Amino acid sequence: MQRRHRTLPELKASESAQAISFTDPSLACKLTAMGVLPGAIIEMVRKSPFGDAFYIKVDGIRLALRSEEAQTILLTD
Amino acid sequence: MLGKMERSEQVLKVGLIGNPNSGKSTVFNQLTGLRQKTGNFPGVTVEVKEGRFTLPKGQAVALIDFPGAYSLYPTSTDEKVLVEVLANTSDPNFPDLLVFVADVTHLEKHLLLFTQVLDLNIPTILALNMSDVAEAEGIKVNPTRLSAQLQAPVVFISGRTGENLPQLIQAIEQLAESRDPWKSSFYKMNNDELRISEAVCQNFACTNPYRALLLAHHKDWLRFLSPAEHATLDTIVKTKQFQSLLQQVDETMVRYDQFTPIVRDTVQQPSVFPVTATDRIDAILTHRIFGPFLFLGVMLLVFMVIFYGYEITGGWVESTMAWLIEGTETLLQPVSAGWVVDFITKGVLEGFKGVLVFVPQIALLSLLIALLEEVGYLARAVFMFDKMMRRFGMNGRSIVALISGGACAVPAIKGTRTIGNWKERLITILVTPFISCSARIPVYMVLIPVALPNANWWVWAQVFGAMYLLGVLAALGSGWILNKVMKSREATFLALEMPVYRAPHWKNVWLTVVDKVANFVSGVWKPILLITSALWFLSSFGPGDVAGKAEQSAAEDIEAGIAADSVRGDLEASYRLEYSWAGKLGKTIEPVIRPLGYDWKIGIGILSSFLAREVFNSTMYIIYSLESVGAAEEEAAGDQSPFERYSSLKDKMAMDTHRDSREKIYTPATGLSLLVFYALAMQCMSTLVVVKNETGRWRWAVLQFVFMGSLAYVLSWITYMLVNLIA
Ligand SMILES: Nc1nc2c(ncn2[C@@H]2O[C@H](COP(=O)(O)OP(=O)(O)OP(=O)(O)O)[C@@H](O)[C@H]2O)c(=O)[nH]1
Repeated sequence: MQRRHRTLPELKASESAQAISFTDPSLACKLTAMGVLPGAIIEMVRKSPFGDAFYIKVDGIRLALRSEEAQTILLTD
Repeated sequence: MLGKMERSEQVLKVGLIGNPNSGKSTVFNQLTGLRQKTGNFPGVTVEVKEGRFTLPKGQAVALIDFPGAYSLYPTSTDEKVLVEVLANTSDPNFPDLLVFVADVTHLEKHLLLFTQVLDLNIPTILALNMSDVAEAEGIKVNPTRLSAQLQAPVVFISGRTGENLPQLIQAIEQLAESRDPWKSSFYKMNNDELRISEAVCQNFACTNPYRALLLAHHKDWLRFLSPAEHATLDTIVKTKQFQSLLQQVDETMVRYDQFTPIVRDTVQQPSVFPVTATDRIDAILTHRIFGPFLFLGVMLLVFMVIFYGYEITGGWVESTMAWLIEGTETLLQPVSAGWVVDFITKGVLEGFKGVLVFVPQIALLSLLIALLEEVGYLARAVFMFDKMMRRFGMNGRSIVALISGGACAVPAIKGTRTIGNWKERLITILVTPFISCSARIPVYMVLIPVALPNANWWVWAQVFGAMYLLGVLAALGSGWILNKVMKSREATFLALEMPVYRAPHWKNVWLTVVDKVANFVSGVWKPILLITSALWFLSSFGPGDVAGKAEQSAAEDIEAGIAADSVRGDLEASYRLEYSWAGKLGKTIEPVIRPLGYDWKIGIGILSSFLAREVFNSTMYIIYSLESVGAAEEEAAGDQSPFERYSSLKDKMAMDTHRDSREKIYTPATGLSLLVFYALAMQCMSTLVVVKNETGRWRWAVLQFVFMGSLAYVLSWITYMLVNLIA
């Protein structure tokens, strides 16, 4: 059986991890174009006030993602 | 077509493209200054700016500022526009050459779109922007080497300081004059892609293999394809089993693999990204608890500036117009017929005023919003409120529109252009006018004390607050309903970049304000003039000899001792209005509004409110034969607390009775019902015109009018019944 990877929403605030791949091709297209690439180190900066959105940092670029979007990013442990 | 600028054959079309926040608009403003115009791309509400400048040797340039995009595989309407133009060599906006603006501090991310464009065989200059930031952060770039590796001219510029902009202009001129064919290319297609591209090329006039590939990728939404072309592409994609999405991701990754080494080789970045001021500021401004409160504080500040701005500038507009009207009267009276003078002063100039009162508000609001956008704060608000607003069918960006609506719906609705998803934008446009705007305030100030004559100041203030709350609830509630009934296949994304905080670039802010105001005025003056002329006609003419009848009725009243001779003029004005078509109309609709407790006079008030809601007050002054008193009270208003203003009008209204039943018209039930009506009904023609302009169709404006009107009617009726029941 394949081990389940962590996804981005599971990171705690100010924790970092490396992205391995994306589960949704159309979002993958958008995310890679914005600079989130497999292999990149993603830092969870903080969660939004009403939950459900994340402020992340990748290679010095700051992004806001919804949790549906963040869930498509698989991370190494 | 774009804007109204004529483009002759000889004009060089230069497209300005780049990722969002790369500084495109700044470069655009630097190059063109005030010689710019905003328009829409045909068929979509995507804004495009076109500006003019001249190259040193005299060649005229039309610079087209395309919406920011991350790649040629778009996810928003904005980004799609770029692909539609670049994929279609016969598009009227297809550029002769491109200037690609990239933020040098994050060059890697920008090169994706850049290398895609290189493969389209359009001569392209890479403008590495933000050289001033690069210097400050110790980033070193070797433009010559980069240029050799990318096979394209590279200029290292700063849109902010203007550094090297002459070199950029020179590079444009050189490229335009160059006789060598442009032949840069970057990406090597894999076998699947090659097969598709070749197949497309066999069926279409092929200008370039990568463009052919794009046709296959985007066949489903490219609007320039005919149905037959679409079918051909469909067959090609099906028979070759082309997996568009996977190929897109693949292509993106391969491109990154290709240009990452180039960036490493030519740009020296500090090895770790330091914790910057932006991070420290965001720790507070996007804090999970303080963040939203700080935002509300900022918005309250914006709101107050506009509120006081309205108080002050409203007075200026008022006195300027009074001066203008008086001047026109003295000038025209001796030479032209009475009705001509009347039409010009009460019809045309009134319409002019209707446009003019909005100008300071739009200028102020767009100034403040442009400022917040420029420094980078708005993206944070979107991040914080996205979740909350999505419950109501909107997205994070809608919160700015709703709060701006507290000043005036017109600029607020224009500001919704930043919302990418069409459905979310439409809902925002449709519900924003529910928020009580500043034009409703004077009406509330009259109606609240009339409705509750025995209450004190404190109760009045609470009712006033309740009116605002009612507007907010109506906006969110209808958003929630619209969200349930409207279907949208368009995916909604947040995935938003939060730019580095920067001090505002005043030239950008200033040009935005000028552009917004000019755009508003040119968009609304015609319909508004039309409607004010119609309203003037309705209230000046009527069946039979209106003036004669009015004179007679006034004389009878004075003879019977009901009125004093001193108010004869006012009395005649009041009767003239009663006997006019507007008065007739008010009486005709009386049966419809009677269940809400209103009489025909309120009917006229409601009709005339279409000019702007505050016109209700001046209409009431005329109806109650207080025209001359009204002017004096307006002038004294500045020295009084808000609820004390308009006292003679309120006295008269409080005494008035229905003609048939002899009961008082303004009971608490009628007053509160009318307040609810003014809070919820769509009574502003400027807003309707702007909604039509922004959505491209009258349909949405009509829908909004009917929806808000019905809601207002039903809730006013319920209010009237309930209060009557209790009282
Ligand atoms: N320091 C510095 N700031 C710049 C420079 N060019 C632009 N900026 C700032 O960067 C921010 C974004 O610039 P814009 O011109 O609005 O960027 P844009 O690419 O048009 O962005 P969109 O309108 O979102 O497409 C603004 O705050 C500018 O003032 C530059 O050369 N140096």
